[in-house]
Amino acid sequence: MRVLLIEDDPALSGAIVRALRAESFAVDVAGNGEDGAHLGATERYDAAVLDLGLPRKDGLSVLREWRDAGCNLPVLILTAREAWSEKVAGFKAGADDYLTKPFRVEEVVMRLRALVRRAAGHANAVVTCGKLAYNAQLGTFELDGLPLKLTALEWRVLSVLMLRKEIVVDRGDLMERVYEGDADVDSNSVEVIIGRLRKKIGAAMIETVRGRGYRVTAGQS
Amino acid sequence: MNFVPRSLSGRLLALSALTTLVALAFAAVAIGYVLERFVIQSLDQQLDAQAAMLARAVRDDGTLAPSRIVNLPEFESAGQGWGWRVVGPRGRWMGGDPIQEERLPDRAPPPRDGPIWTEHRPAPGEGRTPTGEHVHTRTQAVSTPEGEVTVVVGGPRRLAMAPLREAMVPLLGSLAILGVLLALASVVQLRYGLRPLRALQASVADVRAGRVRHVLSDQPLELAPLAAELNALVDQNEAQLAHARRHVANLAHGLKTPLAALSVKLAEGGHDPDGELRAMVANIDERVRHHLGRARAAAPGSEQKGHTSLTPAIDGLIAVMKGVHAERAIAVTGEIAPRLVIAADAQDVDEMLGNLLDNAWRHARSTVRVAATSTGRYVQVVIEDDGCGLSPAASQQALVPGRRLDERGDGHGFGLPITQELAELNGGTLSLDKAQLGGLRVALTLPGSQAGE
Repeated sequence: MRVLLIEDDPALSGAIVRALRAESFAVDVAGNGEDGAHLGATERYDAAVLDLGLPRKDGLSVLREWRDAGCNLPVLILTAREAWSEKVAGFKAGADDYLTKPFRVEEVVMRLRALVRRAAGHANAVVTCGKLAYNAQLGTFELDGLPLKLTALEWRVLSVLMLRKEIVVDRGDLMERVYEGDADVDSNSVEVIIGRLRKKIGAAMIETVRGRGYRVTAGQS
Repeated sequence: MNFVPRSLSGRLLALSALTTLVALAFAAVAIGYVLERFVIQSLDQQLDAQAAMLARAVRDDGTLAPSRIVNLPEFESAGQGWGWRVVGPRGRWMGGDPIQEERLPDRAPPPRDGPIWTEHRPAPGEGRTPTGEHVHTRTQAVSTPEGEVTVVVGGPRRLAMAPLREAMVPLLGSLAILGVLLALASVVQLRYGLRPLRALQASVADVRAGRVRHVLSDQPLELAPLAAELNALVDQNEAQLAHARRHVANLAHGLKTPLAALSVKLAEGGHDPDGELRAMVANIDERVRHHLGRARAAAPGSEQKGHTSLTPAIDGLIAVMKGVHAERAIAVTGEIAPRLVIAADAQDVDEMLGNLLDNAWRHARSTVRVAATSTGRYVQVVIEDDGCGLSPAASQQALVPGRRLDERGDGHGFGLPITQELAELNGGTLSLDKAQLGGLRVALTLPGSQAGE
């Protein structure tokens, strides 16, 4: 799961990035509105965290630009502007969620997971596929009701596949949602992660679709 | 002591009364003087005729020829104030009542040598008879080879004054009536003339009450600059207020990012094991929010009240609630009467309804009911939830600033008091009650607006 953070305060963005990475997210950071708008429009993210008071281009303009271009990236506005009229303006510009500063970082994490889950079309907090269950509120996986221990990369891959269960996820798409923008990626690394995941949850759970990608399946179809 | 009246109309009235009085007094004196001259003239003619006859009776040797003395009938009866006297170097002759002259009949004292009066020009004078009768005199000098002979003739002054007095009574009466009429005219003129001032005052009061934005600029010539200055002052005041609000907002927003960074850093790796430091950050945040909220709430009284359509405002806020509380599946019911407009700033309406809807969403189990109706001049918005509600005592406390009744979520403890304050500043009320759905029922009543209907 890859998130774009657009925040101009380095101390705050640094702290958020550390907290998100600790929760296994892949995070890219933009320090101003222009860079953020560009990244959001060209790279593949699962969600964006957007500050409103940004240099070069303010957050609402960035958001409108994305929406006008047909980009439906889930966006969490993270701002000091807490008046209700400002929140209304944020949602009118196309925001999906709104959190005011200061905030608990757990709240950001929880809201991001929920945003991504809802964007994938899951109304309930727990997504299940056969014996595998993903709790999108806590970000935890359970296999046969027992907690599943995963590395950050494994978690990213499995959460992306789980949210699109029974659907084939393009390999390139999957790679983009797993690695940060500046990561040095070996083209075989996704296969390696998939292999490790198969060992943990059972080989039948993840199906390789030749020439297209992967899908998580309960096996009925 | 200051005798200048404090009231403008008092000053103008006093001034006009004073000038009227002076003008009337001058008119009375002038008319009296002319009248006196006129009545004295007829007395003078009688006296001059007598003086001329006496002058003819003076012989060349300076004596008076008794045989040539002819008296006018008035001079025959004594005690009436008529009398004459002829004084020459050879003697002194008198007729009628004796006259004691009181004032020399000329402004300048007569020179000691040489004749004072010429033969042909009698001079006026004043005197008294022994009985105290005021007498008007005419003095004529007659030159004879033997020397100067002075002829003095006097007649009772009251005779001349009686018609004067008779004329003065109606004259002064009509002058007094004229004065009263002029005073009344001044009062009417002042009331009419100062009416634009009262209109301007009412206009300023309207601005202060927020009914209009500016003082009417359609003013009389003299008041137009004042109205323009007042409007400039209103604009300046508004600009300064907006500046101050922006300043407070910038300060508050500026503080929040470092606060957020601090709060997130404290959460990292055991910086704050017992949560004490995070509580302090929360405390600072609470204060910043409080003052930001107060700065927003303090503004509307001084600004013109806006007109806010209710339906779009509620729709916008419900969209926010559905986004922010997306994890809680809350159904919205109720109906909002169409075309309701609230006489308040859109930002205030958002703030009040936002706080109330947010509370409802936070506490509701499954349903929030939002209804709005027009009650005459007011619009009432009722927001109910099916949560656990508040006891009457807790309802009371809920409106005390800073008291947080519910620690769930990140709601600020002053949502209800701030809403109440905003409602009162906008001329409305906020009341809490038990909802039919089981939870809290909040009724927000705000003045409606005719605009846009």
